[in-house]
Amino acid sequence: MLDVIARSAALVAGTLAVLTALGVAQPARSQTAADPTKEPVVIGVSGPLTGAYAQYGAQWQRGFDLALEQVNASGGVQGRPLRVQFEDSQSDPKQTVAIARKFVADSRIVAELGDFTSAASMAASPIYQNAGLVQFGFTNSHPDFTKTGDFIWSNALNQAEEMPVLADYAVSALGGKRIALLFINNDWGRTSKDLFTKAAKERGAEVVGAEGYLADEKDFRSALVRVRDTKPDGIALISYYADGAQITRQLREAGLSQPVVAAGSVYSPKFLELGGAAVEGVHTTTPFFPGDPRPEVQTFVSAYTAKHGIDPDAYSSRAYDALLLLATVIRQSGPDRKAIRDGLATVKDAPSVVYGTVRFDPQTRRVDKPFSTRLVVKNGAFALWQPGSTDAAKAAN
Amino acid sequence: MFPTSFGPWLDYTINGLVIGNIYALLAVGLALIFGVSHLINFAHGSVYMVGAYIGWLGITKLNLPLPVTFAAVAVGCGLLGAVIERVGLRPLRNAPRIAPLLATIGLSVVLDQSAQLLFSPDPRALPTQLPSWRIAIGGGSIGALDLLIAGVGIGSAALLYGFLRFTRLGWAVRATALDRDAAQQCGVDVDKVNRTVFAIASALGGVSGLLVGMYYNTIDPNMGFQAGLKGIVAQLIGGVGNVPGAIAGSLLLGLIESYGIALFGTSYRNLFAFVALILILVLRPNGLFAKARRLPPEPLTGTFIAPSRPLVLPGWLIGLLIVAALALPFAVQQPYLLQTLGNAWLYALLALSLTLVAGTVGQVSLGHAGLLAIGAYASALLALDAGIPVLLAVPLAGVIAAALGTALVFPAFRLRGHYVSIATLAVGEIVTLVILNWESLTRGPIGVTGVPPLSVAGTPLVSGQWVYWIPLVVLLVFAGVQTRLLSSHLGRTLRAIREDDVAARSYGVDLNRYKGLAFAVAGFVAGVGGALMAHFYSYINHETFPAPVSMLALTMVILGGLGNVAGAVLGAVVLVGLPELFRAAAEYRMLIYGVVLLLLIRFRPQGLLGTV
Repeated sequence: MLDVIARSAALVAGTLAVLTALGVAQPARSQTAADPTKEPVVIGVSGPLTGAYAQYGAQWQRGFDLALEQVNASGGVQGRPLRVQFEDSQSDPKQTVAIARKFVADSRIVAELGDFTSAASMAASPIYQNAGLVQFGFTNSHPDFTKTGDFIWSNALNQAEEMPVLADYAVSALGGKRIALLFINNDWGRTSKDLFTKAAKERGAEVVGAEGYLADEKDFRSALVRVRDTKPDGIALISYYADGAQITRQLREAGLSQPVVAAGSVYSPKFLELGGAAVEGVHTTTPFFPGDPRPEVQTFVSAYTAKHGIDPDAYSSRAYDALLLLATVIRQSGPDRKAIRDGLATVKDAPSVVYGTVRFDPQTRRVDKPFSTRLVVKNGAFALWQPGSTDAAKAAN
Repeated sequence: MFPTSFGPWLDYTINGLVIGNIYALLAVGLALIFGVSHLINFAHGSVYMVGAYIGWLGITKLNLPLPVTFAAVAVGCGLLGAVIERVGLRPLRNAPRIAPLLATIGLSVVLDQSAQLLFSPDPRALPTQLPSWRIAIGGGSIGALDLLIAGVGIGSAALLYGFLRFTRLGWAVRATALDRDAAQQCGVDVDKVNRTVFAIASALGGVSGLLVGMYYNTIDPNMGFQAGLKGIVAQLIGGVGNVPGAIAGSLLLGLIESYGIALFGTSYRNLFAFVALILILVLRPNGLFAKARRLPPEPLTGTFIAPSRPLVLPGWLIGLLIVAALALPFAVQQPYLLQTLGNAWLYALLALSLTLVAGTVGQVSLGHAGLLAIGAYASALLALDAGIPVLLAVPLAGVIAAALGTALVFPAFRLRGHYVSIATLAVGEIVTLVILNWESLTRGPIGVTGVPPLSVAGTPLVSGQWVYWIPLVVLLVFAGVQTRLLSSHLGRTLRAIREDDVAARSYGVDLNRYKGLAFAVAGFVAGVGGALMAHFYSYINHETFPAPVSMLALTMVILGGLGNVAGAVLGAVVLVGLPELFRAAAEYRMLIYGVVLLLLIRFRPQGLLGTV
């Protein structure tokens, strides 16, 4: 009996001891630096590498790897190598708050990127805000994400900008008058649904049905019966790529042949892979498109495919973009936490594969006026949409 | 909007049957395993995922013909099932029945994480090689794959029926299912029976993974959890351990969901299904298709809860540990360590609450995260919308969680054993889904932003020390109260209900009253824990307290020792601490966590500090 006490006590003591040690331990993953003699500038990343959202963390990682390679090949930041410390949070709030404390206490870390879900990211925001470390959420579209304070920034797509563009595509370009909407029932989908409905109404169309589905749902047959019975002439999807592909497959199988317009987050090679032949003809708008002739986009796409052997998707391009943006800001303002915050407010011509050039509204701490390109899936690939193609003709009839 | 003509209803019915067909594939395997080993196998969803990946390798990498792929999946997963039985469960055959349940949770963590490391977390396409013709029925259509899935489901059920009915090994399986010890005395090799059952059920599970993967043209390492949950619900509707019942239950679940969508909309699908599940459990506690003259489920006398002598920590040691814990922030200035331990204290509140109902009263709850969510939302909304000071909102939230939690679980008070677990699981899901759908109160999917922090006299208590101290002090108070409670006559009464509820009732114990009391205390403790989390996080939504949190709480409680107050705290520290401890291992850390969990169960099945 006593040895069990001893063992249990040893376990507790061991846990505490190693936790203490880890507080000052070296980062979980690090990158080779361009100039290893100088002390690196470190950016903390809190994101999912394991658990239900691990696929998104893996995409981030690919974008970061490329960005670091390029920044450090061109001399790093102010002569010092840039490094990323990626801590796996599983997008679990109790882990993101611990990671936040860790980053905040680590004086080498000058800014933070992430996390992925709103619940996980925003639980940590007060810690970053109170400590004066910039939390830069590059996929956090929650309307209140940046409202915690002046250290919370985001270059996520603003849905108030994105949804009118999508509605424009569905209504003005494709001629939809009665649009049925399927949206993922989370903060992003719900906000987008309201904005899309409003934008469609302003353009003279009606949203005849809106079906919110749970994030892990795979069967949409019955939801599509409801959609069918609203007699729509166009279908809009506020979805990620996996669920977007699933819905499109099932709606084609159910015999619904209306034009489909999907939010830019379906933009991924996986959408084509998982959707197969069914996603042929799906329309989407995206700020980032590999076929975009801008030189920074072409440099990114060729370097990315050379490094990873696959096409970049929405999330890896955003991760790449976010890290490059921070590197630019640090180059201009210096590797200091407060200077980075001030630098974000004044940065004007930061290059961006997503936005062209980025500038922030210092009041909302968000980016305004993203690019958008109209795309359509053609012969199993995303292609620029040409007005006057068959879809538009069909919709006009 | 409301369909009045016959046409749409035909479509909803067909769609419900098609999806029920898919649930049936998993439910049959789960029913078989439950029938023989009385175990809800949480690793079954992972076997299903492994089957999908073996099939993916066969189809896209090795270009095997489809029948060969199916055979490879069946053999591979059959072997995996036998290994699961040998490694995870046989060493625990004499351990309390709760230990194998935890072992299956540990195994599923290991399998899911291994798949994520081997195949990357990205979803992959699994193209079908079946002909693409479709038959139009009503407004929709069904394809070759739908028919194949139905064929495999019904075919395997028929084969199983024949096997159980007409072969010697099948008789042995049935004998073992009826009474393991008696079967063993009659010369039945019980281990062989268990191995066979696991192999058959897992082979079937793997084939279903392949079929469903082809059906959706998508596989990913996390596909097992949700699918397994649906399978468990489906087999419960049919009556646990009843193979034909599992198929009927699955079809019924599919229909319920489809009609739920038809009547209320897509976002009400699971809400409707879980409410229906609770209704069925309450009205027909043995499942819809159970034989009427079946024996009542045995009381959980000594079999479910470990017969162990708890470790009683000496008073001076406890006092010393408490003083050391309280003084820690003076000695250590590391916010990361304090935050991690603060998280551990918050989760210890949840574990404390669960150990009372699961350990002391024997009502194993799988939906305890729902109490956290109720407490968190109550406190956040009281503070924001009603303008109540935070310090008052937190205890009020505890009261609300106690009242609502007890009311929600009340219908399940007449249930026993595993049915309680499933009913509470459903209650947990219902809480989440109501939060998601009741937008006018909870702000729905947008969540509650700007929850004010705890503050005293206008000073917010947000530093690392307060995040550590506040939960610790609350925990110490509740742990003290619960320890007193357990040593009083009330504690004895609650344990009497756990040991033998029939005997307890015959001694004049009003079961509902005492269960209600226990759930109220537990609800208050967990509710306060959830409220504190809301004020620390400042933002909560329906994803802040997901179903895996309930699993984590149960793991903490079993690991520490059921009913053991100090054990609950220790379990929380270990399970919140371990993933942080293994942080240096990056992607491997959850795999290591799963292995450590399995080892702990293997060598200390009654919990670290033993059952009280």
